[in-house]
Amino acid sequence: MAAIIEVQGLTKSYGRKRGIADVSFSVDEGEVFGFLGPNGAGKTTTIRILMALIRAGSGTARVAGLDCWHQSVDIKKLVGYVPGEPALDPNLTGGQILEFFAHLRGGVDQAYLKQLIERFDLDTSRKFRQYSTGNKRKVVLIQAFMHRPRLLILDEPTSGLDPLNQHEFDRMVKEVRDEGRTVCLSSHILSEVEKTCTRVGIIRAGSIVRIGGVAEVTAIKRYEMTITFGDAVPADAFRTLEGVIETEALDNGHTVRLAMQGPADAVIKAAARYPVVSLTSHEPSLEDIFLRYYEGDAAAKEAEHVVA
Amino acid sequence: MWWLRSVFLKTLRDYRVAILGWGIGMGLVLVATMASVATLTTTQQAREQLVSLAAQFSWNADVVAVDTVGGYATFKIGIFIFLIAVWPLLAGSRMLRGEEDRGSLDVLLSVPRPRVRVALEKLAAIWTALLAMGVLIGLVAFAGGQKFGATFSIGDALLFGLNLALVCALIGGLALLISQFTQEQGPAAGWTGGLLLVFIVLDMVHRVVPNTEWISRLSPIYYYNLSKPLVPSYGVNVGAMLLLLALALILSGSSVWLFARRDIGGTVPLPRWLRLPERTASQALPVGDWSLRSVYARSLGMIAVPAMWWTLLISGWAVWVVVVVQQLQAKLSALLASSPAFINVIKNIGGGDATLSTGLLSAMLFFLPLFLMAFVVTQVNGWSADEQDGRLDLVLAAPQPRLQVLLGRFGALATATIVISLITLLATAAAAAYAGLNLDLGNLAAATLGMVPLGLLVAGIGYMAAGWLRTAADTGLLSFLLAAWFFISFIGPELKLPDATLRLSAFYYYGTPLLHGLQLTSVMEVVAVAVIALGIGAVRFARKDIAV
Repeated sequence: MAAIIEVQGLTKSYGRKRGIADVSFSVDEGEVFGFLGPNGAGKTTTIRILMALIRAGSGTARVAGLDCWHQSVDIKKLVGYVPGEPALDPNLTGGQILEFFAHLRGGVDQAYLKQLIERFDLDTSRKFRQYSTGNKRKVVLIQAFMHRPRLLILDEPTSGLDPLNQHEFDRMVKEVRDEGRTVCLSSHILSEVEKTCTRVGIIRAGSIVRIGGVAEVTAIKRYEMTITFGDAVPADAFRTLEGVIETEALDNGHTVRLAMQGPADAVIKAAARYPVVSLTSHEPSLEDIFLRYYEGDAAAKEAEHVVA
Repeated sequence: MWWLRSVFLKTLRDYRVAILGWGIGMGLVLVATMASVATLTTTQQAREQLVSLAAQFSWNADVVAVDTVGGYATFKIGIFIFLIAVWPLLAGSRMLRGEEDRGSLDVLLSVPRPRVRVALEKLAAIWTALLAMGVLIGLVAFAGGQKFGATFSIGDALLFGLNLALVCALIGGLALLISQFTQEQGPAAGWTGGLLLVFIVLDMVHRVVPNTEWISRLSPIYYYNLSKPLVPSYGVNVGAMLLLLALALILSGSSVWLFARRDIGGTVPLPRWLRLPERTASQALPVGDWSLRSVYARSLGMIAVPAMWWTLLISGWAVWVVVVVQQLQAKLSALLASSPAFINVIKNIGGGDATLSTGLLSAMLFFLPLFLMAFVVTQVNGWSADEQDGRLDLVLAAPQPRLQVLLGRFGALATATIVISLITLLATAAAAAYAGLNLDLGNLAAATLGMVPLGLLVAGIGYMAAGWLRTAADTGLLSFLLAAWFFISFIGPELKLPDATLRLSAFYYYGTPLLHGLQLTSVMEVVAVAVIALGIGAVRFARKDIAV
């Protein structure tokens, strides 16, 4: 597949504030690409450059072979966009907003637009200012999908959506992918990207630190397991087990907290030898992952392992 | 950081610019009226004429010692109560409802602090701000009074400020109370503005229709007017001031009481018969709505309502001056005969003989382009705010060239200025026919349609500056320009400013069209500067980072 997004050495600074530095990646036509990173990492800056809302200091950004700055109007004919913080005329109703953008795009298939409204169960008669966060998000999602764009650029698209609508969104992304169209979405939630994307790029502190298939990236995913026992148990019994990275004894040895990466089978079997009161496991935030894996030199080392 | 220690201090901090701006600004408005007293009372005859003239306008305010500095200022400021009440009206409607609109009250009320205390701290901040404004107005009035030979003391001046603060607290309390019943702050401000207008009219009734004082007593403005601290012989009515205080306390207190008992984001439930019919959810689309067909059409849709209000103001002013100019000219004749300075002022502004109706009319119509340019400033502010707040992001993400978006918005503003000018022309011509005033239609068209280039000039400069400046700075720059231009053209000739300085004012190029028509070269110069400014603004907008 040919690349529909090609970004090479993109750099942008906001005076003293950090922007992005030497960002390079590409997105193939037909794939769902996840752009992952903590808040303030540079996801929105990169996306806004692609949408020609801001101009790169250096480097090139191309969509469908067109220069993002000089041929932006042609690019926007191909793209559906959801901004990170949707801001629209607060006095227009949802329906008016959708009609306005339909006109700006030279008209859309009204039947498809109505279908999208029904799928998201949007009340189009309310003013934008009266919508909840989730409903505001629905309006901008519908306007991004309504003209069946060849490429969807979505900046944290599910922020504020309830699980039902998130599920509907996932289905829509899959439909887009099945039709051979492309999605580039940003998120700071690893599990969300895992669910919908085929390939992932991780950005931190304005630089790309890793790009690869979802499986490769999720291999770095750590999680924490906390096991509480009826009696005190030796934490050392877990230290050398497969998947265990760190152990910590708490509550006079009644509780063991384990930092895990990989399968938990060995830990479960070892814990079963003792009277288990409770076992909890939670996925650390992406921020935690970044803090652990990409601090200092580790970041440089990981960057060397970038998979193109 | 000291300012962020409590809700009260934080809110007061938010008002610091308003306290200074409104306090000093309103003080200067008061002083400006004092400045003309000396020229109006040079002889006993002129003094009597002034009193006689004021009596013709007694619907505006009580005629009490108008031949003194304090009395004249009190009289002139009468109708300006509407202007002074704008800040408390907006602050009161925003205090809780505005924060609910933005969602920031949810966060504020999540801190372990009773809801009533949060509301009371905010209310206390408004009252403190009003008091500070009152003190500033009093101090500036006292300083002005000293300069122009007034007899009132600093205590009198501060009492004037206090009386003003009390009536403003009442208006703010009313806005706060109404905002408990509205879903948004705009309607609360609108309803309060409407009620304020009713109060002003009610107060006027007893001065126009005999034996109707009981009607005027229904208006809080009546009680405000019972005190005239700047007229030492009249003094203050302590009872009226205490009544204003009590009403302000009742309105504010009941607002806080209602606020403590209703849902955040909701309203106080009205009786069933007062409720609007419930809106039913719909998934329909406004397919035939013309205002959604392009950026230009949408911009016209956005501008329509404010343009309508400004049209009413501008054409209303023009019609009023046309209708009253002959009557006014007759009343002013003796005053003009005895006051060469006054004649000069009118001549400088109007460009003609003040003893003629058209000369006087020309001077009074001088305010038309000023009003139109003020309207343009508000619209440029909207453009800049839309960009700064990210509301242009999605529009620019549609396949529309940036230039087209900018020109669409500018085009709508230009259309509005043309429509306002045309309506003003038609209304003024009709008024002149009704009043039997013989005006040169060509010159009248020049005076009204000649405003358009000035509006476009302000718009062009505003759009250009918006390329670099943030909204507040852009609006501030344009407001400063308007004030400077007005000062140069209004006072400049009297100060014998050099021609090169006078040429810096846009009003110079507007000239005195009612008497002399429009100078084509002047119009072309203004249009050329407007086009250049817009061109620079367009180039900048096409290249700049949006909402950064």
